[in-house]
Amino acid sequence: MADNNGQIASASGIPIKDIYTPEDVKKINYEKDIGAPGKPPYTRGVYASMYRGQLWTIRRLTGYDSPEATNARYKEEYALGQTGFSIAPDISTPSGMDPDDPRVAHDIGHAGVPIYSIEDMETVFKDLPIERCSAFLADRVGGLLTPAYFAMAQRRGIPLDQVRGTTANDMLTWSSMELANQPPPEAYFRLSTDLIEWCAQYAPRWYPISMNSYNPRDNGITAVQELGMLMADVIQYCDEGKRRGRIPMDKFCKRFAFNMAANNDLFEEICKLRAARRMLRKIINERFGVQDPACGQFRVHVQTSGSSHTHQEPLNNVIRIAYQTLAAVLGGAQSIHANGYDEAVCLPTEQAMLLAIRTEQIVGLETGVTNTIDPLGGSYYVESLTNEIESRTWDYIKKIEDQGGLLKAITNGWIHREYKQAIIDYDRKLKAGELTIIGVNKFRLDPDKVPYKVPIFKSDRSSVEVLKKRIKKLRETRDNTKHAQAMKKLDEVLRSDANSFPAVKEAVEAHATPGELGAAVMKVYGKWTYPIGV
Amino acid sequence: MAQKKVRILMAKPGLEGHWRGLISVSQAFKDAGFEVIYGASMPPAEIAATALQEDVDIVGLSILCSNYMELVTEVMKELKAKKKDDVIVLLGGIIYEEDFAALHKMGVDGITIPGTPLDDIVASVRQLITKGKKKAAK
Repeated sequence: MADNNGQIASASGIPIKDIYTPEDVKKINYEKDIGAPGKPPYTRGVYASMYRGQLWTIRRLTGYDSPEATNARYKEEYALGQTGFSIAPDISTPSGMDPDDPRVAHDIGHAGVPIYSIEDMETVFKDLPIERCSAFLADRVGGLLTPAYFAMAQRRGIPLDQVRGTTANDMLTWSSMELANQPPPEAYFRLSTDLIEWCAQYAPRWYPISMNSYNPRDNGITAVQELGMLMADVIQYCDEGKRRGRIPMDKFCKRFAFNMAANNDLFEEICKLRAARRMLRKIINERFGVQDPACGQFRVHVQTSGSSHTHQEPLNNVIRIAYQTLAAVLGGAQSIHANGYDEAVCLPTEQAMLLAIRTEQIVGLETGVTNTIDPLGGSYYVESLTNEIESRTWDYIKKIEDQGGLLKAITNGWIHREYKQAIIDYDRKLKAGELTIIGVNKFRLDPDKVPYKVPIFKSDRSSVEVLKKRIKKLRETRDNTKHAQAMKKLDEVLRSDANSFPAVKEAVEAHATPGELGAAVMKVYGKWTYPIGV
Repeated sequence: MAQKKVRILMAKPGLEGHWRGLISVSQAFKDAGFEVIYGASMPPAEIAATALQEDVDIVGLSILCSNYMELVTEVMKELKAKKKDDVIVLLGGIIYEEDFAALHKMGVDGITIPGTPLDDIVASVRQLITKGKKKAAK
């Protein structure tokens, strides 16, 4: 890969030399900069035994037409050896609108599982041992997935302090997408911080936030920008925890989870994850003064990068996904989602799904790359590139801090200008051949000459009427007095500085619907004008 | 007299949050000298109202979800109601080949799938402009 001066460079533009030698790593202090796995600064891994002790969690984002269909799929995946479940909710969750809202008429039932109540959550996880699996909930802030999951666990007799899983609701993720009914980033920031505080007290094994740069990355930014935005996100949340002062910092930051992308440049992606671990520890320890070694451990879920998968010759994506999975593994991820090769074509078909799980299992159990911890550690090139990515990322964080921190950089449009420029840069490089995508800008075949077709998944929308009936029934059969009281309380709490989560939880237990919860947040915060255009 | 710039409204009629393709193609049109009205995420009725108000020549739709048949039907219905269905309609996104014929019949003039070079998109739209919308066919 060459940059526009004809020099060989990484995907994020780091110049790469012809050879790396001891000269490139001579400033490294092994104990201080690298160290043992499971020990600060965690460069080699967050756990002492890494994959020798336990393979990463194979956790794929899945959600189909109905809670029943999703449950059937989760059971199949469990039987195949998948040990974590990641809920891809339907449009009602991110948009905060009910299935019978006319605004979602054309979008409902096309992608993701509809979950409108605690009972729906129970259906999704029916007969699955949630005490042995972890769940990943892509929840809207103030949404019902997390409270419904907690309520389901409690009904099964699992106390909240034993419940394991992750809520993905951070401001970096949700602001990277343009959504209907979208509150401003301040709302995401406030409500997700509320959940961090609440879980620190009542659900200490739950990851209350997954700081996520996967979606921002797919907006076209580089590995360095991705890591910079992610670490700026950490700083912003920690600043807020400190400002609020309601939870000691060592408890506040103990259960941060992370979610990153794995894109095409293998070594850059590996080094990005190694640099991320060291940087998080520095931020938590040096900047926020938290000594507890259990804090500042960069536990990361990595997903292969959807935007890198091509519509042209979709089977080529099998290879891309395998290498990206390898990058995640050599980078020391705790949990991995290998995409379906048909990502750029449709929702994954059964064969794409099976192949994705098998990809992770083949990397994990056949190739031998898990035999030793951080096998690339000590490579002149890898250590040097890790350092270079870290150094460039600190510079990028400085730029975000010059905007007043990540929240301000999002609200003032700076972050979205970065996204837009990244898209323009990417398109220019693709056109100029400065980056190569096989089958797209190099060795492109006439579509009629591609010797294979892939099957296409079609969603079954017959379930939509069922959903409408289900939510109508929910509204008719619930205790309306209790519901009205809970909604009134939620409104009051949202207008105050108090922690909002108990009120959200109570509203969900009183059968508030996604649309009602969404409306409650919108009423207080208003609609965000999405800051991007040409 | 300077030639009037081609005016194009670029919007997403659905609720899925992917906007990268819309920005990418909008920027390509802008660079090619078109007057781009970036509509972002807009329901079909608002797309038609904006198309009328902004007096555009082209409406470009981006859809990355399998609901495009429904959404395009709605947009076409709304454009017709506003008597603005003489515009050139473009559709970009994950569109299955098996639906191309039906979409053309509904009034979609150009269809683009991911991975199409931006220059090719612009060139094909210029051809459509030269050809003009076949109002009689409707």
